[in-house]
Amino acid sequence: MGNIKQKDLILYSGLIILGLAAPYLFSAFKVQLTYLCVLIVLAMTWNLQGGEMGYNSFGNILFYGLGMYLTASVQVGMFFPLAEWTESGGEKTFVHTTAQYFQGIGVGLLVAAIIPTIVAGAIGYAILGLRGHYFAICTLGLGIAAGEIAGGIEIIGAGQGFTTPPFPAEIVDPEARGQFFYFLSFFVLVVAFVFVKYIYGSRFRLILNAIRDNEDKAEAMGIQTMKYKIVGWMCSAFFCGLAGGIMGGLIGYIDSTDVAFDGREMGVFMVLMAILGGKGTLWGPIIGATLFHFFKEGLWTFILGWQYVALGVLIVVIVVYFPEGLMGWLREKYPERFGEVIDEKDRKAQVELK
Amino acid sequence: MNKLVKLFTIFISAITLTLASISSSFAKVEGEYIVLGSAISLTGKYSSNGVHTQNGYNMAVERINKMGGVKVGGKSYKFEIIYYDDESNPKRAAQLAERLIKQDGVHYMLGPYSSGLTKAIAPVTEKYKIPMVEANGASRSLFTKGYKYLFAVLSPANQYLEVAIDLAVEKNGGKPVKIAQAFEQDAFSQDVRLGILDAAKRTGSTIIIDDKLPKELNDMAATLAKVKAVKPDVLVVSGHTKGALTAIRQISEMKVDVPMLAMTHCDAAKLSKQHGKKSEYALCASQWHKNLSYKDKFFGSGKKYDKDFKKEFGYAPPYQSAESSAALLVFKDAFERANSFDRDKVRDALKTTEMQTFYGNIKFGPGGQNVAKPMILFQVRCKGDVCENKVVAPTKWASDKFYHPIPKWSERS
Repeated sequence: MGNIKQKDLILYSGLIILGLAAPYLFSAFKVQLTYLCVLIVLAMTWNLQGGEMGYNSFGNILFYGLGMYLTASVQVGMFFPLAEWTESGGEKTFVHTTAQYFQGIGVGLLVAAIIPTIVAGAIGYAILGLRGHYFAICTLGLGIAAGEIAGGIEIIGAGQGFTTPPFPAEIVDPEARGQFFYFLSFFVLVVAFVFVKYIYGSRFRLILNAIRDNEDKAEAMGIQTMKYKIVGWMCSAFFCGLAGGIMGGLIGYIDSTDVAFDGREMGVFMVLMAILGGKGTLWGPIIGATLFHFFKEGLWTFILGWQYVALGVLIVVIVVYFPEGLMGWLREKYPERFGEVIDEKDRKAQVELK
Repeated sequence: MNKLVKLFTIFISAITLTLASISSSFAKVEGEYIVLGSAISLTGKYSSNGVHTQNGYNMAVERINKMGGVKVGGKSYKFEIIYYDDESNPKRAAQLAERLIKQDGVHYMLGPYSSGLTKAIAPVTEKYKIPMVEANGASRSLFTKGYKYLFAVLSPANQYLEVAIDLAVEKNGGKPVKIAQAFEQDAFSQDVRLGILDAAKRTGSTIIIDDKLPKELNDMAATLAKVKAVKPDVLVVSGHTKGALTAIRQISEMKVDVPMLAMTHCDAAKLSKQHGKKSEYALCASQWHKNLSYKDKFFGSGKKYDKDFKKEFGYAPPYQSAESSAALLVFKDAFERANSFDRDKVRDALKTTEMQTFYGNIKFGPGGQNVAKPMILFQVRCKGDVCENKVVAPTKWASDKFYHPIPKWSERS
């Protein structure tokens, strides 16, 4: 990491200061900002295997939902009997003390990061042999199946849903909850960014790219592609689990198919955001997620009832006009700004050929 | 890289400016308007019931505003509602509740449609101490959480079909019955299921089929095939509007003979209109029926409400609309008794609510549920090709006798 340029340093410290100041500057928007952080984490880590490795997964929602249920379950189960908490749709209420709440969520998030990673490893071993759209369809099934299964497990509330522990009542400041979740998600965002940035400078990324560009050749070059594919997916799962855990606590109510294994929304959004910004780039998913979130929050309320039509139009526009995403589009328009040198003569020759 | 940094700086500052320029909070009472907020399902799987709810709210707002509004401190105010579409998604609902409170400055909330969504919103309103009167969140677990700012004008979900089981036992000569049941996997339907489990235990009845149906359900053939094979005394189905429609469609297609069919959401699904004679004899739980003898000065009687609603929206009001309208009457009453816009005073006034509306008596129990109003059962009955919902229980309002058992399909014309 010693190769950060001075310009970058200014940019990063600026962003971090903005991130830390944001909940105070835009106090009313804390929850939306928390969502933004989570969305960026999801898009950025989806990009690891979707953009860099070329394995379009619709199954990352599995890890997100798993993380959500795990965090909440651990948070409750550490101090109270979980089965009683969720029985009959959560009629009984136990009250967490402040210390219990934070201990619970801490341990819960840890579990929410580790278990999905292990699950990703196990599932990856089984299905990463599939390629292209076979892999995409298979992962699509994962999320849906998980939702249906979770909806049948009584101990996590089944179809009734799971109310996560309320924020401790001893903290009277109504802003505290929002701030806590914002900083938590911002922290995860920073960690995820540093991690992804590190990967971008490593040999690992080159291997992932090699797999994307031509897996058979990569294999022929002596790369154990399976191993790297699994590790790549596990990296995504780690952060998806964390993101899910945070969201569960923030939303306060987990429903099996609508909140946790929400493939229809979150599962598609994370792919969409990465593609909108430009997959296979460091900043693409971040810009994509930010724009998407603004589009959604800003526009959707003005077109009550028509927002999904607008989303459809957005998808069409992205696919038709920005197939490479915004970053890809910018790169094509201003290649020199991305440090690419263009041979003018060659370019002209190509144009003339057309 | 240099230019890229610049690009980002521009991008970030643009975002900052946009955020900063959006004025946050315009206040709970604006001029002569009392602003209420509500996240409603206008799209997604609950959209039809979401619209029933919204129509109910709108109808009451219009009526109250026209009839002098809300008098607080000697001044007359009008209601206004800010709606957002929660897309039938609890995650979105919780986020929108936050948005209504923090950004739109709403101090009083109306509930969303469905228990699951209310479960997601209640922690938010509770945190900010925002009184919420809700009309469509019936799950029993909403009322055991110790929420102080949640008030529901409806009876809890577990009471929906309990009576139906009692009725079945009665018709069986007091002997226990065999129950087949299928419920959608969502908070409300699962709560109805709990009610049936209780009733089965109480009456010693056995449950021989206990199926879970997926959300957005449009096929329950597997359950019905089992029902055909094991011949239960009563079949119970609950799964919002789609559940009711699917059940009737497939029962008639598969010619499933069962002596008693108990359901929810028959009126919201407009069963008697959409399926006509196929839906005859279905027994339905309802929070309200137009023939009930309650009255108030805004809507008159249930029958008048029915007529006015039909004129305005072109269809007969399901109970979802009626209870939603009632929620606003409750708010109006509470504001006037509190004679203040102080949230806690309004909340205290809500707590001591005791009133009659066209929809029924309203009095809140310690958990916030309405304890003054019983559930009713109606049965779809047809005369020629015209089908209607006739109240059969409780006996006080029964206009028709409960028809039992349902004739076999081979005997039905």
